[in-house]
Amino acid sequence: MKSLLAILLGKTIAVVTRGLKFGGGSAAPGLYALKLDPQIVKKLASKIPINVVITGTNGKTTTARIIAHFAKNAGLKVIRNHTGSNLERGIASALIHNSSFINHKSCDLGIWELDEAAFNIVAPKINPDLVVFLNVFRDQLDRYGEVDSVVKGWVETLKRLPKKTIVLVNGDDANTLRLSKSFKGRIQKFGVKDYKIVGEGIEKKREKENLDFEAKNVKLKGLSGSRFQLTINNELLTINLPIPGIYHIYDALAAIACAKFIFTDPLTHRPTDLQILSDSLKSFQPAFGRVEKLDFGYIFLIKNPAGATQVFQTIAPQIKKEDRLLLALNDNLADGTDVSWIWDAGFEKLLTPSLRDHKVAKQSIYVSGTRAYDLTVRLKYAGFDPKNITIEPKLDQALKQARKGLKGTLYILPTYTAMLEVQSILTKSGIKKNYWEENG
Amino acid sequence: MDKFKIVVGYLYGDLMNIYGDTGNIIALKKRAEWRGIEVVVKNISIGDRIPTRQVGTQIDLYFFGGGQDQQQALVAKDLQKKAKVIRAEIERGVPLLSVCGGYQLLGDFYKPHKGPKLPGIGLFPAYTLASYDRMIGNIVVNSMFGDLVGFENHSGKTHLKKGTVSLGMVKKGFGNNGKDKTEGCMYKNAIGCYMHGSLLPKNPKLADWLLKKALEIKYGKKIELVPLNDSLERQAHNVAFKRFS
Repeated sequence: MKSLLAILLGKTIAVVTRGLKFGGGSAAPGLYALKLDPQIVKKLASKIPINVVITGTNGKTTTARIIAHFAKNAGLKVIRNHTGSNLERGIASALIHNSSFINHKSCDLGIWELDEAAFNIVAPKINPDLVVFLNVFRDQLDRYGEVDSVVKGWVETLKRLPKKTIVLVNGDDANTLRLSKSFKGRIQKFGVKDYKIVGEGIEKKREKENLDFEAKNVKLKGLSGSRFQLTINNELLTINLPIPGIYHIYDALAAIACAKFIFTDPLTHRPTDLQILSDSLKSFQPAFGRVEKLDFGYIFLIKNPAGATQVFQTIAPQIKKEDRLLLALNDNLADGTDVSWIWDAGFEKLLTPSLRDHKVAKQSIYVSGTRAYDLTVRLKYAGFDPKNITIEPKLDQALKQARKGLKGTLYILPTYTAMLEVQSILTKSGIKKNYWEENG
Repeated sequence: MDKFKIVVGYLYGDLMNIYGDTGNIIALKKRAEWRGIEVVVKNISIGDRIPTRQVGTQIDLYFFGGGQDQQQALVAKDLQKKAKVIRAEIERGVPLLSVCGGYQLLGDFYKPHKGPKLPGIGLFPAYTLASYDRMIGNIVVNSMFGDLVGFENHSGKTHLKKGTVSLGMVKKGFGNNGKDKTEGCMYKNAIGCYMHGSLLPKNPKLADWLLKKALEIKYGKKIELVPLNDSLERQAHNVAFKRFS
């Protein structure tokens, strides 16, 4: 009875918030339903045949989206938490949205992204068949704490998961690699040959790590994506990934490994053919704001030192002299109220020869957000000439100025809430749909 | 001034570099370079000897940041071996900036919830007790360098012993212990504090004071630094100040 009421309440709130256009109803329904029935996630998740949980600092949404994409192409019905709502309330909202009052609608697969701290509370309730640990970097220290305590929490939680769970870890990240010793069940490692993750960036590695899913012969193709080879059970395949940057190869590897374990061919009941996954990837589109192509440029979310540095490494070689940058730093709760992370991010990597050239770089950099001045100071100390920087804390104004007379590409690099603002500005001007309608 | 050179000793920079502390090093380096002063940053880690006049290049300015618990325990042990040299250098007038964990380890001791006290090196007449309060948020401190703005994030409460000079008084935030309104500590030209965020880029007066002291001790004469255009830094400072006070 309690869960029925909780579902009813959640559904009502979802209808009301959507009706009043407060947002996509991605957190509030779950929040209130959980108050009525704290076990709602456990009860509803147990009705789904297969559950996958994804955690880590960066790449959760992209990985979840690739798995969902594979699943849909394989004809499976998927349920997942959307739009970065990766706390328990976000999971509860998704489950409630999908639930009828008598029976859970027939779902084949649940894909759940959980943030570093929520993982420890929610993963045991979901009782997952497969868990992905993508990476761990310094993120919002005010919320998650230090890297060591994040890893310690995961080690404890892994002990509580059933032995039948398959655990995928990033074998190039020393922190997630540490987890492989603390789980009794099956552990599989994924990674990229010759690369390892060091501090906030990705570097060449010397020593060899035995990886179960290893990307080889990586070729980066600018902003259009990358190509790599993968061998599984003597089957060699070339994969074309339509999203740029080495960091996305890790997300794709995790998704491929996941699909390999949990999908079966409906006719033969054998694991899904790698070729099918590879073909399926061609039509993949990245999550909103992560790497988003617009008519006049790109949006790349930046939210912590590691993620931002990897974005800089990816776009810097592509910046041409007629291109412009718009960076936006907010310090709202969802961004992290502590903006000191910008000093750990490698903004120096963004300073390309054309941006260094004072004549060329004139009027090419726009800085916005609640902490626009902090970010401008960071750029100044990274070697940018303040004379080339236009500061406009109001994002709609900044976007207008940055687009005025734009001849090349505009690279928009916002923090989380600034990205939502950019989405909303673009939606209002008719360039984009609402983000909660976009998730599929 | 074109021949001046400063060697910055980054104490345990490989282990103690959390919370954007590296921004302080960037600020010192850039503000010196913009004035034609050469800066070399030397990481001084576990097992390393601190170079002194007798054994190679002298350190002209020290920086010591915060770290994770595990690293901090390793550093505390090694720091005892460097204690004598560091204390002698500070007595000589060499400037030092320490933040959070580094500040705590330079005091008398750190008392965790469980287990024995972690001995410090007694540079600052202060001691720190673990607490269950997380003192987190933006902080504004009134000091001899004007209003300083930063972000604090600590659970240890530092108590200054009688007669000890604080860095300043808290206008907004918690400071040393959340009770007596003091923030940080000063001894000779050594400063300890809980302000990261990063501290020096947004508080250029303090950054320049450290550089000036380093040069004066090294070259044994009065130094006036060439003024820089700090309008952006001031605006960042003002935005932070308005947002949090």
